[in-house]
Amino acid sequence: MEPSHELLGHTAEVRLRVRGADLGAVLTEAGRGLAAIQLGGRLPRASGEWRSLEVRAPDREALLVDWLNELVYMAEVERWVPVDFEVEEARDTVVRARGRGIRVTETPSKVKAATHHALAIRDVPEGLEAEVILDV
Amino acid sequence: MIGTAQTLEHVVRGPVFYELGTRAREDMRVPARVYADDVLWGQITRDRSLEQLINVATLPGVTGCVYGMPDMHEGYGFPVGGVAAMRANDGVISPGGVGYDINCGVRLLVTELELAAVRPRLTDVVHELSRSVPSGTGRGGRLVLTDAELERVLGEGCRYLVERGLADPADLEVTEAGGSLPRADPAAVSPRARQRGRDQLGTLGSGNHFLELELVERIDDPAAAALYGLEAGHLAVLIHTGSRGLGHQVCTDYVRRMDQVMPAYGIQLPDRELACAPFASPDGRAYFGAMCAAANFAWSNRQVITARVRDAFGRVFGDAGRLRLVYDVAHNMAKLEEHGGELLVVHRKGATRAFGPSHPETPARYRSVGQPVFIPGSMGTASYVLAGTDAALTLSFGSACHGAGRAMSRHAAKRAKSGAEVRRELEAQGIVVRCPSSGELAEEAPMAYKDVERVVDVVHAAGLARRVARLRPVGVVKG
Repeated sequence: MEPSHELLGHTAEVRLRVRGADLGAVLTEAGRGLAAIQLGGRLPRASGEWRSLEVRAPDREALLVDWLNELVYMAEVERWVPVDFEVEEARDTVVRARGRGIRVTETPSKVKAATHHALAIRDVPEGLEAEVILDV
Repeated sequence: MIGTAQTLEHVVRGPVFYELGTRAREDMRVPARVYADDVLWGQITRDRSLEQLINVATLPGVTGCVYGMPDMHEGYGFPVGGVAAMRANDGVISPGGVGYDINCGVRLLVTELELAAVRPRLTDVVHELSRSVPSGTGRGGRLVLTDAELERVLGEGCRYLVERGLADPADLEVTEAGGSLPRADPAAVSPRARQRGRDQLGTLGSGNHFLELELVERIDDPAAAALYGLEAGHLAVLIHTGSRGLGHQVCTDYVRRMDQVMPAYGIQLPDRELACAPFASPDGRAYFGAMCAAANFAWSNRQVITARVRDAFGRVFGDAGRLRLVYDVAHNMAKLEEHGGELLVVHRKGATRAFGPSHPETPARYRSVGQPVFIPGSMGTASYVLAGTDAALTLSFGSACHGAGRAMSRHAAKRAKSGAEVRRELEAQGIVVRCPSSGELAEEAPMAYKDVERVVDVVHAAGLARRVARLRPVGVVKG
């Protein structure tokens, strides 16, 4: 399955759907989808050094939310938006990865948080499909 | 999506409301009432907001009825425009019922300037405002706080800003709760939340946050308008923003914490984003303390922006540009309030207080008419000032709506009209626009919102609040 992300309809917020062959691919694509929203739709070429990222959560769905919230935090506090990811380990309760992205001069404050509302990660024939609503 | 046909067969229609009894879904503990006319009801039933309101009606300790305001639309967890009260002794508090932008709110300032006289300088003042009040990005204007200063903002809110010369004591008299909640517990705010908020005081943020110049176009209630200081033809300023990254992180932290502790309290929910804990529990108390601290931060944010706006007006208009605060209302909060002799935790998600003349928390100077209630439209449509009513206490736990309410997704709005088109249309109406992002402008286009006139008509007819004045935008600064 080719990894992909798309934005679905929601009256007030942003509903992000991602697809990938496995959990690592889903998390990667979710990170790229988030970056595209934060950067106004464009995904620039990454530069600079790779940085380590690690997130732990109680279950697979919570891991997706916490992963995105970690990236929201880094964008806002460090003004760093990763657009490329290399996942080293992805299990239901932990993801260890490296990220490479861009430095921004203006804080990308559009996304407040990833939420648990209507959160789902489903098995589909060629991998996984996830949906998460982002508060914007 | 809501099982519309199944659920809607249980709807009972009132004069200006639609009500679902507890038979509509077996896990409902209380009925759900939505204030709306036919058209607004039609819009409300097209998204998931009714299902979300029914979910709220299942929360432990919920009492009376859960309410949907006329601007209700789909959110996450609670619908936007949702009101629910839980008993303080055995009910829950839910961070998702407050939302990520804790104490997001609106304040109105009035000037003695007549628009007709200052129209030639309108562009200058909008430009000054856009330079002075940053959206939260790299430009100047914000207040970067030391650890000790942030601690005081969290603990004391606007009271601390009086000491810093950024607030006038008179401002606090017309800010909900005096801009300072005494139950704030800065120690319950995480280092991450502090980090996100440290350099964001005095910033608007993005999305639907705004700073608008308004013309007081029409007075509907002369007595109340006079008390609020509203005069037809004069220039006024509306500020809409909240607790920025600090509040967002407080909510993120406590949704996670509640999610993990709920099993210990035996709580099961239809939606994980409604994660909650008993208000009286250590987890509930910790969130309440952190939420109150974030609320203090939000009031301080709007107050620092007010100081910047006053400076900008002073630079353009000199002494004639004085601005007096009419009121500051919160619309994403959980408040401890007494209703019918019982202490309740009233959650208002995208809904504002609308206390009437008799309520002790209505500011002393507004006791004869009720507290001011603001219902902003969108960038190109009217906004309204209303007065709270005593009747609202029994109709909605003393609540009214917080805006026109979205009717169209951001994605659909952008597809329908470009930012450049929206900008041209607003300018054709004589509105001066400053917004760094065309995409954001398109997302917030007037057509993406419900008809504010219709929303206000329902609020007025239902008795939640009564019309005082109509404002029309003449200048817009978006985050």
